[in-house]
Amino acid sequence: MANSALVLSGIDAYYGDSHVLQKVSFELGEGRLLGLLGRNGAGKSTCMNVSVGLLPPRAGVVEVFGTPVTRLPPEQIAARGVALVPQGRRVFKSLTVRENLIVAARDKDAATRHANWNAATVFAMFPRLAERANQLSAHLSGGEQQMLAIGRALMANPRVLLMDEPSEGLAPQIVAEVMTTIRKLKESGLSIVLVEQSPKLVFDIADDIVILNSGRVAVVSTAAALKNDGVDLRQHLGVF
Amino acid sequence: MNFWLLLTINSITFGGLLFLLSSGFSLIFGLMRIPNLTHGSMFMVGAYLGSTFLSGALGFTSDFWVAAILSAIEVAVLGALMERLLLRRLTGQPLAQVLVTLGVSLMVADLCLMGWGGDPISVETPAGLGGFVRAGPAVFPLYRMAIIVIAVVFAIALWLLLERTRLGAMIRAGVDDPQMARVVGIRVSQLFTIVFGLGAGLAGFAGMIGAPILSIYPGLDQDMLPLALVVVILGGTGSLLGSFVGSILIGFIYNFGQALLPELAYFVLFLPMVIVLVVRPQGLFGGQVL
Ligand SMILES: Nc1ncnc2c1ncn2[C@@H]1O[C@H](COP(=O)(O)OP(=O)(O)O)[C@@H](O)[C@H]1O
Ligand SMILES: [Mg+2]
Repeated sequence: MANSALVLSGIDAYYGDSHVLQKVSFELGEGRLLGLLGRNGAGKSTCMNVSVGLLPPRAGVVEVFGTPVTRLPPEQIAARGVALVPQGRRVFKSLTVRENLIVAARDKDAATRHANWNAATVFAMFPRLAERANQLSAHLSGGEQQMLAIGRALMANPRVLLMDEPSEGLAPQIVAEVMTTIRKLKESGLSIVLVEQSPKLVFDIADDIVILNSGRVAVVSTAAALKNDGVDLRQHLGVF
Repeated sequence: MNFWLLLTINSITFGGLLFLLSSGFSLIFGLMRIPNLTHGSMFMVGAYLGSTFLSGALGFTSDFWVAAILSAIEVAVLGALMERLLLRRLTGQPLAQVLVTLGVSLMVADLCLMGWGGDPISVETPAGLGGFVRAGPAVFPLYRMAIIVIAVVFAIALWLLLERTRLGAMIRAGVDDPQMARVVGIRVSQLFTIVFGLGAGLAGFAGMIGAPILSIYPGLDQDMLPLALVVVILGGTGSLLGSFVGSILIGFIYNFGQALLPELAYFVLFLPMVIVLVVRPQGLFGGQVL
């Protein structure tokens, strides 16, 4: 596919001696939303770590808009337009809300700018963050931290947004807010990987679905096809 | 002169010097996750270089403060070079990095012995600060008061740098979560060089500022390093407030220990460190860079 935002092909990744990803391949089309599903421990976060350069794969290639980024350091992959909303949010706890945003702003390199996110536009999107702009992020609620993690990722004006279980540990109405935000970002043309354990959240919003099982790709499909086929996903995802 | 008052002033003065020494040590520890064992050497080299500038041997200055600033800049450059040329090559191997800093500190000690000889060098109190101020029955040595002022000014300046600038926020982000800092695009390795240079420069400056009180001698490095270590373990790594409180605390413990229990000075000094390590290993202020 010519217009791939992110491609993982034949990725083998290890933590020490344990072989966590085995020949994992999938691709995210430009402007599409890919739902990456799998049980706890299936290797979803590891795919994220490989994509952002935190875990260099032993084999395989990662490409961002056709350019190989395999084994580049994380800050250089970030500069090529990949941003991560990590599992567990990982906001910088000793920084204020505003500082969390400004440290992630990228120096003006117009060529790679694809949107116009800055602290003001992030605050406009998340008014509750604006109210708490000068508070330490450690004092935010889980939902607010999640919004901050999303805002921080947007500050770099990424072309590819990776979101690792953004609904984890949040109350249902906050999850709904987060999903609305993701929908807006998708409509703005951003290419997105949305990692979740539960397919319920993902099937409505995703264009494509990849299911990981024990470090291997078990299913690649469009969301529509999976819904219509009524395929039994329980063998890969457990009861849901 | 009241013995207790003098002891108290000496304690605060020494605490001020320790703060200049340990704030950089603490930042480096917090950001790079290694104790920089050359930190005592930076202190000593700063003092030796400053004394050489001061002697006028290099021909341009004989002013104490100019000498102190010049040697601080030189030591900062040395620290930044060491990070770039040596530690950078060992990224991700903290044990190797610590061993390199140990090796360099021993090499530096030899070089200083070669360059400046084995005899202690005394440095005169800067012009105009040799006297005392009187306040009723109490007498305050001017130079020691100046050190306290300098330490407070540096504490405020460092606080402003860390808390009020984007660079400072990036450094704190790197201390908080170095991996995430890199993922959001912060060039953490550049921060390493900056913080290493800054920390070294502060240590070098402290060496020269302390020279009129401590004098300069072979082994000064190994006398100072454990003090920086104790301060940082008490205060917590990467915490400016921690270094400040820890420095003053150790200033008191060290001076009172030497005066009252000279034969147990090290015991008294390291006991709090052992207790904190066992009871509260993150330090009294660990985890926050304030
Ligand atoms: N830092 C790590 N060190 C060692 N093993 C890890 C580490 N992180 C994850 N793993 C292991 O790798 C496997 C995949 O983990 P992960 O990618 O986090 O799964 P998921 O995100 O799908 O829940 C699991 O078996 C997990 O125990
Ligand atoms: Mg995970």
